[in-house]
Amino acid sequence: MEKKYNNIIGLIGNPNVGKSTLFNVLTGAHQHVGNWPGKTVEKKEGTIDYKDKKIKIVDLPGLYSLNAYAEEEKIACDFILKDKPQAVVQIIDAQNLTRNLYLTLQLIEIGAPVVVALNMLDLASQQGIKIDIQALSTLLGVSVVKIDAKKKTGLDNLLDKILNYKKQPSKFTYDLKNKKASIRYAFINDLIKDVLIQDKKEIKKGLSDSFDNLVTNKYFGIPLFLLIILAVFQIIFKIAQPIINIIELSFEFLGIKIIDFLALWPAIPNWINSLLVDGIIGGVGGILVFIPIIAVLFFILGILEDSGYMARVAFVMDKFMHKLGLHGKAFLPLVLGFGCNVPAIMATRILEDKKDRLLVILMSPFISCGARLPIYVLFTALFFSAYQGWIIFSLYLLSIIIAVSMGLLFKKVLFKKLSTPFVIELPPYRWPALKNVLMYVWFNLWFFIKKAGTIILFFSVIVWLLASFPFGVEYGSLESLAGRIGQVIAPIFAPLGFGNWQSAVALLFGFGAKEVVVSTFGALTSDLTTLFTPLSAYAFMVFILLYMPCLAVLAVVKQETKSWRWPLFMVGYTTTVAWIASFIIYQGGRLLGLG
Amino acid sequence: MKKRLVQFKKGDKVKIGCMECRCNFGNRLTELGLFEGSEIEIVKNDNFGPLVIKIFNSKIALGRGEATKIYGEKI
Repeated sequence: MEKKYNNIIGLIGNPNVGKSTLFNVLTGAHQHVGNWPGKTVEKKEGTIDYKDKKIKIVDLPGLYSLNAYAEEEKIACDFILKDKPQAVVQIIDAQNLTRNLYLTLQLIEIGAPVVVALNMLDLASQQGIKIDIQALSTLLGVSVVKIDAKKKTGLDNLLDKILNYKKQPSKFTYDLKNKKASIRYAFINDLIKDVLIQDKKEIKKGLSDSFDNLVTNKYFGIPLFLLIILAVFQIIFKIAQPIINIIELSFEFLGIKIIDFLALWPAIPNWINSLLVDGIIGGVGGILVFIPIIAVLFFILGILEDSGYMARVAFVMDKFMHKLGLHGKAFLPLVLGFGCNVPAIMATRILEDKKDRLLVILMSPFISCGARLPIYVLFTALFFSAYQGWIIFSLYLLSIIIAVSMGLLFKKVLFKKLSTPFVIELPPYRWPALKNVLMYVWFNLWFFIKKAGTIILFFSVIVWLLASFPFGVEYGSLESLAGRIGQVIAPIFAPLGFGNWQSAVALLFGFGAKEVVVSTFGALTSDLTTLFTPLSAYAFMVFILLYMPCLAVLAVVKQETKSWRWPLFMVGYTTTVAWIASFIIYQGGRLLGLG
Repeated sequence: MKKRLVQFKKGDKVKIGCMECRCNFGNRLTELGLFEGSEIEIVKNDNFGPLVIKIFNSKIALGRGEATKIYGEKI
């Protein structure tokens, strides 16, 4: 039974101030992620029990101000004004008090019940910054609490302050009605003089700065990024492969056990046996073995994000992205696309311009998502076992090349002139908070598992049905329904080197979710090496990489572009590109004598 | 002497003069602390790609196009 919340509080703050860390520390596993009603902005909520009270915590989007140009800012304003939270906790990075206080002033102006949580004081004191907390509290007229989100100190004090929130008389000496930014900053500058004690001594250049110079170097920046991506794939296989083997073995073992178990009841018809073992365990189990790969992929993406490196990637890619009429920030959704295209498309909302968004949305399905990885793993293990990492790296490289080329093409054809300004904060490097990264991995993994339990289970049963009907034919044979359907479509793929009916069926079902390709092959054939040569296997992987995105992606494209036109266009154009690319690779390879 | 932001070198401390950015974007920069009269430091200018500037205590990457439209004076 749902207990009523005693209190609702909101967490707000600039990006990179430790907001997610505080949220994760406070709520632990008691959180869920959804969307704000009718919006594409992520809504994170969690609960905490403290002193017999159940408190709901809402993590508001990270923002610099409350001017309500952006959707995030409107959401935050609406939450504060309409949901009437008990308190709004603003997390402030003590290293950058001036900029952070800008938001504080705006919060006070709209009458929000602000409690300031001053974070990262240890880092600030290393830079010779000291803050008079009492003075800050008095001057602002709000409670100010010292916390350390990472070391989990000061949290009880913060919660006490929230529960006992009382509006203090404001001692503001500036006119609240005058909302000009420079006046706010002038006020902050005056206030800061009484609060901040900064040692005059020059701070020595930290490791962070020298590292930054290397990472953002105009010659080394991009190669370094590519090197990191290559290393990521090598790591994924070194770590994940042994675990995959174990999971595979246990599913095989489970299958055998079930057959043995069912043999105890001779009355059970054979088809139930087959549904369980071939259909469900073969299908869903064949997908779940990829959990380690997905987990490691998101773990690394999470580390790159949380450490502050992603913003540098946007920086080094800016010059390059300008050729597409985009700027560096547009590269970030594309990087997320390596995890899954759905969040990538949702992340395009960091771009202010609608045309920019559409362009990135149209490019994103070519970015090879985590769901396509199991297919590459399956094929490379069979056909390219010696160069697995390299072959997969080549597919990822191709994925970027095609995405960029299509971007250029669309820019030429669809949108003549594009220009949006590029401005992004480069946060200081820091050690990623393990908890944040693990939460990130968990949410994405859970999404994957849910998919395995729903869409993939559904398609597994469908594949099983098609492979079994009409009853009496050999399972997964040419005479089965699947075989007949495949035979009809297969000629389309013949010039690409995989005109076999099994591939046709697999590609058809891959539309539900790309992972289903793997389980479909599991159901329809026992030996892939009889269906493919290394060349046609590569052409097939290229086709998988480029052809129409899955159902979930199309749904989110529809949601973001608010029309069916773009998702339908996407299906057509991606599949055309895939066909042409595979054709060139297969026929070109044959001309070179590779086939 | 007022110069465009792109004409400054690494390490220069600059007082911002006039800005000719589009309104919305000007606001975005203002929130970050870049407005007429504010003082910034050039952290990186390779004459290639975006600039990195230091506003208050944070590093901000700013596209070359935008940096061309912002004028300032060396302190």
